[in-house]
Amino acid sequence: MVRGRNPNNLKTSIRILQAIVLIGVMVMLVRIFQLQIVDYEKYSPLSMQNSIRLEVVNPARGLILDRNGTILVDNQPIYSVTITPANFNMAKISRLADILKMDEEIVLNRIREAQQYSWHRTSRLFTEVSFEVFSDIQENAWQLPGIGHKVESKRNYPLDLKASHIMGYLREASREEYLSSSHIRLGDRIGKSGLEMVYEDFLRGELGSSYLKVNAYGQNLGSFNDGELNISPSKGADLITTLDAEVQILAEKLMEGKTGGLVALDPKTGAIISMVSAPQYDIERLAGRMDMQYWQSINTDTKTPLFNRAISTRQPPGSTFKPFMGLVGLHLGLVTTETEIYNSGAYIRGRAYRDLADPGDYNLESALAYSSNTYFLWMMDRIATRSLLNQWSSLIQDFGIGPRNNIDLPFETTGIVPDSTYMNRNFGVRKWGVGDLMSLGIGQGMVSASPLQMAVATASLANGGYRVHPHLVSQIRHTNGDVDQTNPEEKKKIEWIREENLDAVKRGMKASMQIGGTNYFAYIPDIEIHGKTGTAQNPHGLNHGWFIAYAPADDPQIAIAVLMENSGFGSVSASPIASLLIEQYLTGTTTRPHIMNHVLNFKPEGAVVNDVPEEVPVP
Amino acid sequence: MINSKEFSWPVLLVWFALTAIGLIAIYSATQGPVSQFLPEYIQNNFSRQIVWISLSLFILIAIQFTSPRTFQGVAYIFYGICILLAIITIFVGIEVGGGRRWLSIFGMRLQISEFLKLATVLAVANYLTHKRDISVGNFKTALTTVMIILVPVIIIVLQNDTGTALVLLALIPVVLFWSGLPYGLSLLIISPALIGYFSVIGLLYGAIAALIITITIFLLQKQTWLTASSLLLGIVVVIGTEVALHQVLQPHQRARIEAFVNPSLDPQGAGWNVLQATTAIGSGGLQGKGFTKGTQTQLRFLPEQWTDFVYCVIGEEFGFMGSSLVLLLYAALFLLLLRMAGVHKHPFAQLVIVSVTFLYFIHFVINIGSATAVLPIMGVPLPFVSYGGSAFLANTIMLAICLNLDLYRRSFSIYR
Repeated sequence: MVRGRNPNNLKTSIRILQAIVLIGVMVMLVRIFQLQIVDYEKYSPLSMQNSIRLEVVNPARGLILDRNGTILVDNQPIYSVTITPANFNMAKISRLADILKMDEEIVLNRIREAQQYSWHRTSRLFTEVSFEVFSDIQENAWQLPGIGHKVESKRNYPLDLKASHIMGYLREASREEYLSSSHIRLGDRIGKSGLEMVYEDFLRGELGSSYLKVNAYGQNLGSFNDGELNISPSKGADLITTLDAEVQILAEKLMEGKTGGLVALDPKTGAIISMVSAPQYDIERLAGRMDMQYWQSINTDTKTPLFNRAISTRQPPGSTFKPFMGLVGLHLGLVTTETEIYNSGAYIRGRAYRDLADPGDYNLESALAYSSNTYFLWMMDRIATRSLLNQWSSLIQDFGIGPRNNIDLPFETTGIVPDSTYMNRNFGVRKWGVGDLMSLGIGQGMVSASPLQMAVATASLANGGYRVHPHLVSQIRHTNGDVDQTNPEEKKKIEWIREENLDAVKRGMKASMQIGGTNYFAYIPDIEIHGKTGTAQNPHGLNHGWFIAYAPADDPQIAIAVLMENSGFGSVSASPIASLLIEQYLTGTTTRPHIMNHVLNFKPEGAVVNDVPEEVPVP
Repeated sequence: MINSKEFSWPVLLVWFALTAIGLIAIYSATQGPVSQFLPEYIQNNFSRQIVWISLSLFILIAIQFTSPRTFQGVAYIFYGICILLAIITIFVGIEVGGGRRWLSIFGMRLQISEFLKLATVLAVANYLTHKRDISVGNFKTALTTVMIILVPVIIIVLQNDTGTALVLLALIPVVLFWSGLPYGLSLLIISPALIGYFSVIGLLYGAIAALIITITIFLLQKQTWLTASSLLLGIVVVIGTEVALHQVLQPHQRARIEAFVNPSLDPQGAGWNVLQATTAIGSGGLQGKGFTKGTQTQLRFLPEQWTDFVYCVIGEEFGFMGSSLVLLLYAALFLLLLRMAGVHKHPFAQLVIVSVTFLYFIHFVINIGSATAVLPIMGVPLPFVSYGGSAFLANTIMLAICLNLDLYRRSFSIYR
């Protein structure tokens, strides 16, 4: 043992060992100095992020209420299970399927979908799971890295009222929408139709954020810093609609099983009281988890339940067009209120146009009352031959028939009120003549309108010649208490309508209510109602029934237009519906169970096809 | 008779200090808010550690009343028994986490490998005390010394405890050096570890390390054959490391090495422990987050925070002040022990004290090196600080023997 025996050697060896030890300690000292002092700024936030998670808190979507404050649409909590594929351990899949009480294969397929979507983003694995499954997931989350849970909400419709076409449904935002908006995150549901779409920005509310303390297992340990940094979400604004829930419920009930559309509005303001498109789809089944089967079925249904007939269909208005024809004829000086025109049973102009009204002389009032075709064909003949078509077209459009009325719903369509440009485009320049225009006079042929347009036009008769702006939302109530009056109830005087002319038309509409079936079906005790039925030719099947009306006659509070497709006479099919709704709106109840039963049991097959005004070629 | 003035009180004081710091850290790591995530048997680690500390203190005192000659006398027998028990452990030991390391004796769970370290130190010291110094010409002695250490190393590897085996393996150059192996040669035998380490970090670093070591060896021993073999060895190690990293190592081993070199490559996988450990220490800053206030510790981001990563708990909750204090205490312990060895006249005592010091030192370097990402993670406890009864007891017994040898240095004859 040289070192032990030689003191000098021993000393050197000890020195060397001491040096090694000191170097070791110094290296560690430098290292912790680097970590804790030099790089503190780097590691401190890292440890914060490690234990703090930022969660986005979805705001509650705004409610939709009716004119009396009754809630039509609110929210209901649903439970979702989420996945971040990158963190998920595929070996745990059977455990996960166990907890979800689902087939392993289904779970696997969903996970694959989520993986394709993104490995690092969190996506919904299953929504609307039961509360039991949800709490199981919550308890076992620490065993299932990558699996999360979330309370979300879906739309709920507390009343027995769907108004599907008005409210609209929510769907997951598309990639384009997500990329083009700073508010919408992938996977968010946004309004895709109806008010939900038009007022999306108001209803949505503002996202909140919440800082949560989590441990290494991702278990939630409560809020960080007692929630001081949290930003609570701001609830979406509530929409106060102009709808009357009672009338709407009745309207939907009456339209059940039928095809058509109706619009009832306040002729003074344009506020829509009720609007139905039948058949409608069940908005509740589109509210939560996507029911693909149902979605497919309503998409492929030949009766097109997704199509909003109240504002998007184009149908010839038939005889309901006659009051407006009358006003235009008076204005153009073709007739006076006294002018009488003889009906021989048919109007002959190149061919015979049948007139079902009894032969005899008709002035405007009686022509409207008995719906004599001859009177209006005669006027149209003059309009066509005197090249007044363009003037006629623009006057008709002043009523709101034809143009868009800018209702606050998507997919509103224009109608058709032909002018020379239209005719040239469709028939070719100088390839059309008087014969092509004649039937326009009785609301047939190319002229076509939606129930909304007819309702707006009817309102202008009721309110003394004003064009109203139809709208569904009267107020937007923000969470902070601010209230936007969204729709200025603007109305525009149709300057050319003269009081005495209007009175003549009104007298005609009043008289028409006392005749035949209309008297039976549309009569409301103690309420004077002015209306006009229409039955429009339909080359594809049974004729369409129309009815327009307003009431009470001395101070109209409701104007309505009802279209019943393939239902025959408007007096039988459409007028009882309108009268029941008017009664409900004005009195708060309905008193005529026999009429109600008639509507509820109405079978369009029973309507007679032949007994409608139609063009009959000259023998 | 015992003269208490001869006793090395400072060493005992350092022992107390490290033990106390360890207890505080173990308390925070098992009894703090984190306890809600821990199974009960781990929460009980704190109270179990107190029992082990009490027992160790009792034994430490008892050992002071023993004759230093006893250690020499029992060295081989103790070595034999420990080897035997360790072999038994391989077959009937309690299996925990993929390795059989614990043996149940009289209801106590003992980690035999810890006592095997002590036995090996005593056996090697006893063997070398009777031999002439080791030189190239005295190859047989060197080989026997290596074998005495290598047998327990192999057994411990079989117990699947690579960390402990590595610590013991590192004892070879220490005792050989102390026994007279020339400086150059001593440096040569540790050079593969150094060059290998730098080669893992980067090929260039490995090459530079090899060059510096070769030059140093040349300056120390000016022998052409030695310098040449050093250079050759250096080249072999640098290339070997490269080949091993990419061809030989199993994927999980490679992942560990890669995680060490660049933990952010796979933060959820192999790099997780490294990142969490450095984040814990780094986020402690100067003053720390406070006792039981460390988020990394209390939210269970740290693996094995009561044993292998206990230093992270200290670093996070007591900051640079706490963690540097631990370093200074260790420095004091090492230097005090080495001075003890330096003033002792008896070669057995010198060898034992030097070996014990370096066993502590190697534990210290590997543990703190792992926690601070200076070294790849190897599961090795921090002496006196980490939880672990057998380790604490064995480490304390080693210290007690050093204290005993020092206490009796005048009466302990320098002759055999």
